[in-house]
Amino acid sequence: MPEEKIPVVDITGDPASAGNPIQQWNPVGTEDQAPASESRRGFLKKGAGLSAASLVGTAALVTGSDDAKANTSWAEHFQGAYRLMTDEEKQESISRLEQRYSKEYGKNVTVDGTDAQEGVLFGYALNIQKCIGCRRCVKACVQENNQTRGDEQEIEWIRVLKMEKGEFTQEKLNDGYPGDYGIQVGGNAYSAAGVVLEGEHYYEPEKVPEADSHYMPIACMQCEKPPCVKVCPVRTTYREPDGPVVVDYNWCIGCRMCIGACPYWARRFNWGEPKLPKEEMNPKTHYLGNRPRMKGVVEKCTFCIQRIRHGRYPACVEVCPVGARKFGNLLDPDSEVRRVLDRKRVFRLKAEVNTYPKFFYFTD
Amino acid sequence: MAFMKMNQLVLFGVLAASSPLAFAEEETVCFESREGSSEVKKTEIAEGLPNVKCSPRAGGVLWWGDPFDGTEPMGEMKIEADYSKGEAVVKPRAPQLGFLPVCGVACHNGTFPVKNDDPNPRKLVMHGDVVPDASDLQHGRGGIWCLDCHHSDTRNKLVDNFGNEVSFDEPQKLCGKCHGPIYRDWRDGIHGKRIGEWASTGKKRWWVCTECHNPHDVQQGARNSGYAQLRPERAPILPKGIYNKDHEGHQAAH
Repeated sequence: MPEEKIPVVDITGDPASAGNPIQQWNPVGTEDQAPASESRRGFLKKGAGLSAASLVGTAALVTGSDDAKANTSWAEHFQGAYRLMTDEEKQESISRLEQRYSKEYGKNVTVDGTDAQEGVLFGYALNIQKCIGCRRCVKACVQENNQTRGDEQEIEWIRVLKMEKGEFTQEKLNDGYPGDYGIQVGGNAYSAAGVVLEGEHYYEPEKVPEADSHYMPIACMQCEKPPCVKVCPVRTTYREPDGPVVVDYNWCIGCRMCIGACPYWARRFNWGEPKLPKEEMNPKTHYLGNRPRMKGVVEKCTFCIQRIRHGRYPACVEVCPVGARKFGNLLDPDSEVRRVLDRKRVFRLKAEVNTYPKFFYFTD
Repeated sequence: MAFMKMNQLVLFGVLAASSPLAFAEEETVCFESREGSSEVKKTEIAEGLPNVKCSPRAGGVLWWGDPFDGTEPMGEMKIEADYSKGEAVVKPRAPQLGFLPVCGVACHNGTFPVKNDDPNPRKLVMHGDVVPDASDLQHGRGGIWCLDCHHSDTRNKLVDNFGNEVSFDEPQKLCGKCHGPIYRDWRDGIHGKRIGEWASTGKKRWWVCTECHNPHDVQQGARNSGYAQLRPERAPILPKGIYNKDHEGHQAAH
């Protein structure tokens, strides 16, 4: 359509752009107004026609294409919020995704839409005394949940903090305060800098656990009153009836308000185009969980929603070599989590901010 | 090194050289909880589905394709607990213990070695690989000795408080003799490890004591911990533009 070029205002006054409708409109009014306004209206009309035609054309084009991504991206782009969809719309959206992912990753990818079960509220308990800081949970999570990986950008939902075993002595009382170390960015009385809380998560010793340290893994606490949900301007992140806080990736606008609101550093942003090698991709996915994400959306731990909705433990629970991670139904008095709550000394991280986490730390 | 067994690779090499049907596929072995004593070989249990995914760096299992692969039902226990509601399975320990099939017949055959009734810890002639210094056993702080756990006549069995034989597949019946509160927590699922289904009525694979703890070295020397040290997985990469973990002293100019 060479004659229907998108009109651009040419400020050079080039005679070649004399046919441009905007250029023809003369605001000074030395000429007759009627044809000018007519041609302007004509331009708007033409423009409207053009954009409608181009959309239809694009749709026709992409459905004929072999490119898995192009085939579905148009429909995917214009779909509504998952929570507001009818069951048919959900199913349509799911099969669209299954088709695209299967082509993209060269295997049979399933996208699950299983809803929450009645009478289930998921809770998690972690024995902070047992954790050895080996980070196996972190890597297992990446295997299971299809996070982006590589040198450019690596997303991990769990962060294992190394903390010093504390002890207050007269000699060490003034260590680490401003003076020698400049402005504090964390840390405690003895060590200048931590990254989050009073721990650091970039530790790299030969063997763990180190004698003078203990370890505290943090991830999404699946709050009952989640601050991230409160701030989301498009309500794309919400708490599911069985507890986990999830993200509808297609509805996410990437504003990252939730990342700022979360007191637990639990949310991650896809700054670049996610990189997920085909052979490492986990084909068993859930719409609200580990399906491949796109650039510009936020993601987080969902307690492995694709596993727990079908009765299986989350991947981090299974992989923990010391059995520090416990998981189950908070409404079932016989569940492992409830037994921990009944019998052990338990605390919740930052309980004072009234987020009511369903993630509990305990000691023997 | 636990990741690939060198001796098996060598064996494969010999086979490849001698046989025209050469297959030089590398065998991947990784460990579940206790390095060297809870090993699992990577195989395919269904089209494109491995039984385990192994960590290339630390040699541990990172993911189970089938949580019940290679398990069998757990034996009865005298006290009712979780296992009576759901389904409990365990992985037999015997394949992990190299000498177990022969130790009850080859060396300890009932007449040999001659039974020694001296209860005091002394230097062992054999088994230096298991207990490097038998006079300083790293378990029980001098309070226990071999035959408190191992059956005195039937050496391929353990022994309970009444002198009954206990299978190596059920060490909990032995360990619970002393570690009562831990045993109770383990039965109720709040000590130790389980994989499978989260429901209290679900099917779970239970880890038994010796799958995580080395009973001959539970004190772990100066660390005084029941779990052996192991190599951690790689640290996360630093965010773009950050050059050290303290977020201080950036190399790039602002």
